[in-house]
Amino acid sequence: MSATLIVAAVLSLADDGAPGAAGAQGEVAKESKAAGDLVPLNIKLPKPAFRGTPKHVPPGTNLEEPRKGPRPPFMAAKGAVNVAAGKPVTSSDSEPIIGSIKLVTDGDNSADEGSYVELGPGLQWVQIDLKEKAEIWAILVWHYHANARVYHDVVVQIADDPDFITNVRTLFNNDHDNSSGLGLGRDKEYWETYEGKLIEGKAAVARYVRLYSKGSTADDQNHYIEVEVYARPAK
Amino acid sequence: MKPEHLYRLIFALIVAGGLALRLPRLELRPMHGDEAVHAVKFETLWQTGDYVYDPHEYHGPVLYYATFPFVWLSGAQSLAELDEQTLRVGPALFGAGIIALLLLLLDGLGWRVVLATAALTAVSPIMTFYSRYYIQEMLLAFFALLVICAGWRYWQTGNPGWALLGGVGVGLMHATKETSIISLGCMAAALGVVAVWQRRSGTKERAGEEPEKGIEGSRDRGIKKNVVVWGDLVVAAGVAILVSVLFYSAFFRHWRGPLDSVLTYATYFERAGGHGLHDHPWYYYLQMLGFTHLARGPWWSEGLILGLALAGIGVAVTGAGLSDQPRRLGLVRFIAVYAVLMTVVYSVIPYKTPWCAVQFVQPLIMLAGLGAVGIISWVKPWPAKAVAAVILLAGAAHLGWQAQRANFRFFVDYRNPYVYAHPLGDVKYLSAYLEKLADVHPDGYRMLVKVIAEDAWPLPWYLRGFERVGYWEAPPAELDAPVVIVAGDLAASLPAGFENDYEISFYGLRPDIQLVTYVERELWQEFARRQEHLAPGPVRERE
Repeated sequence: MSATLIVAAVLSLADDGAPGAAGAQGEVAKESKAAGDLVPLNIKLPKPAFRGTPKHVPPGTNLEEPRKGPRPPFMAAKGAVNVAAGKPVTSSDSEPIIGSIKLVTDGDNSADEGSYVELGPGLQWVQIDLKEKAEIWAILVWHYHANARVYHDVVVQIADDPDFITNVRTLFNNDHDNSSGLGLGRDKEYWETYEGKLIEGKAAVARYVRLYSKGSTADDQNHYIEVEVYARPAK
Repeated sequence: MKPEHLYRLIFALIVAGGLALRLPRLELRPMHGDEAVHAVKFETLWQTGDYVYDPHEYHGPVLYYATFPFVWLSGAQSLAELDEQTLRVGPALFGAGIIALLLLLLDGLGWRVVLATAALTAVSPIMTFYSRYYIQEMLLAFFALLVICAGWRYWQTGNPGWALLGGVGVGLMHATKETSIISLGCMAAALGVVAVWQRRSGTKERAGEEPEKGIEGSRDRGIKKNVVVWGDLVVAAGVAILVSVLFYSAFFRHWRGPLDSVLTYATYFERAGGHGLHDHPWYYYLQMLGFTHLARGPWWSEGLILGLALAGIGVAVTGAGLSDQPRRLGLVRFIAVYAVLMTVVYSVIPYKTPWCAVQFVQPLIMLAGLGAVGIISWVKPWPAKAVAAVILLAGAAHLGWQAQRANFRFFVDYRNPYVYAHPLGDVKYLSAYLEKLADVHPDGYRMLVKVIAEDAWPLPWYLRGFERVGYWEAPPAELDAPVVIVAGDLAASLPAGFENDYEISFYGLRPDIQLVTYVERELWQEFARRQEHLAPGPVRERE
């Protein structure tokens, strides 16, 4: 294993989602009678693309501590696969600065040039239409992992309609000062890595997935390499 | 419609276009550290009525005095009530005023050159971008052009009023920024070069115009064209000194100011000499203007202006291309020499910041206007003329498109060549966060805020509504406060365990420079309770 791989593995993130991954899996299993047998999600990770994390990160911040070792397997219902692949994507930014909005679900989660879409500054969102209601177990998002950075006000919501009016549920929110106006977020901010951010879907049923962000520690723009939604058809 | 009326209509449309790129949404870009410093300096003058020149920093006071009309119109009573638009509207109008001033050169350049120059000035990304900055650059460029225009009008009419106006312009230049000495020096050198050039080339003015007569000792023969009267020059110089002294002495309050405004050049010569943070190679400006592509994403170029300026040099050297325009070749050559000298001097000086380029870009654009008209004149067949005109119009439109993107989309983007040492948008969110905290704190805006950072600008602007804010460059002995903001590189020097009583988050100040924000846990919990009672608001989409 190369030095890059070792360093990136050491610096990969700890818990994904608000509750601890392992504990949450148990809760989800209890809550979802439709879950059936749980199996590890088959996630294909890209190659790590950077070494180290930014300097001067003090203790006790609303930032997740770097985790030693790879992310533990995430348990999901049998049959949950990435249903977002190739699905239509819309965005708050009709004129991306770099790339096409289609890159969000094109199946390429690498940090290579040409693999990401860059949206303008300030609060922006991308939205995926799963084309039918799905039982969502996990959402994996890679904003940009070619270097160390933290995206602000990451909010992930699901809904039954494209305008996010009906049955809107928030799966993740780390907007700690409610500056995005979507409600106060209790989740922590996190470093972008090659492992992406795994957000639990808790077997919620929805057709639309929307992800917000508001710039990063690197700049004011918003980037998306890939969003994967692990789900199975809703019964 | 008569051609004259058409030209006037087009000129008015160009000015309107220039304003459209300069005035809207002046609040959009976060305050640069330098802008914040000037805002605080203005506040001192505003609230105390007093101004003391600092020969080491901050430049002259004209910017601050020029801010008053807009502050009065805004009705603001304190810095806390001031906003970015009120401060920036002045430079924006001076930036647009540069276009309007070109009319004073109409009889020297002709309508076509004036229109081409006006259009390029209106849409130039650098000229629009720094028109929206609360700094001195656009005022200095305006006053420099005013001096050139007044000088030209004086030469043309012999009216001593123009000499006086020129004197006022020189005084305002000096009282605006110390670098005015570069512009004035280049003007003087260009005058000398052109005088020799005109004599050697034996250029004659157009038929029916009086030949140049040089300088005369008195006005005893009445007002005459193309004559400089020593008396007028002396009076103009006196007015220039008077205006400068007025401002630097804060209207005769501090006599040390005018003296320091001269002694300051020891500081500035040292700074210009290099070995500082802002040192760049000689080609920095030309590269920046010619082509900038710092990373994936947008690229930028004002190469059209540079290229047309080269053609303008051809016009100045040969005189070709201006046969159908009323003109004075001397003026054209003065503009060419002045523009080249300014470009050379600013390139040679190691100290460089992008906004300083405004001073030589403005004359370069005049030269480019000459070049544009020259090119169309040089091309003889009409279809070829039409093609050249369309290409130039397309180039100008591309400049305008870049200006729109630079000002309204990439205004804090590191790939924008004019975004230099600029704060991130996060500073606005930090400000909003603190205001929400003040809403729930018993002391409101008297809530104590401690800021620990070696360079906290522009935070003083964003915290201007708070009455009790202290700034330290290292952690003070008494650290506790409801809100403590610490630069990321100093956070490790806080006492161990300090963070235990605080809710901690961080905001970007500049790329890779974070501000760690400590909020007393009790205060944060009250803030959180308040926020949870708020229904999620509508999500603002990008405008």
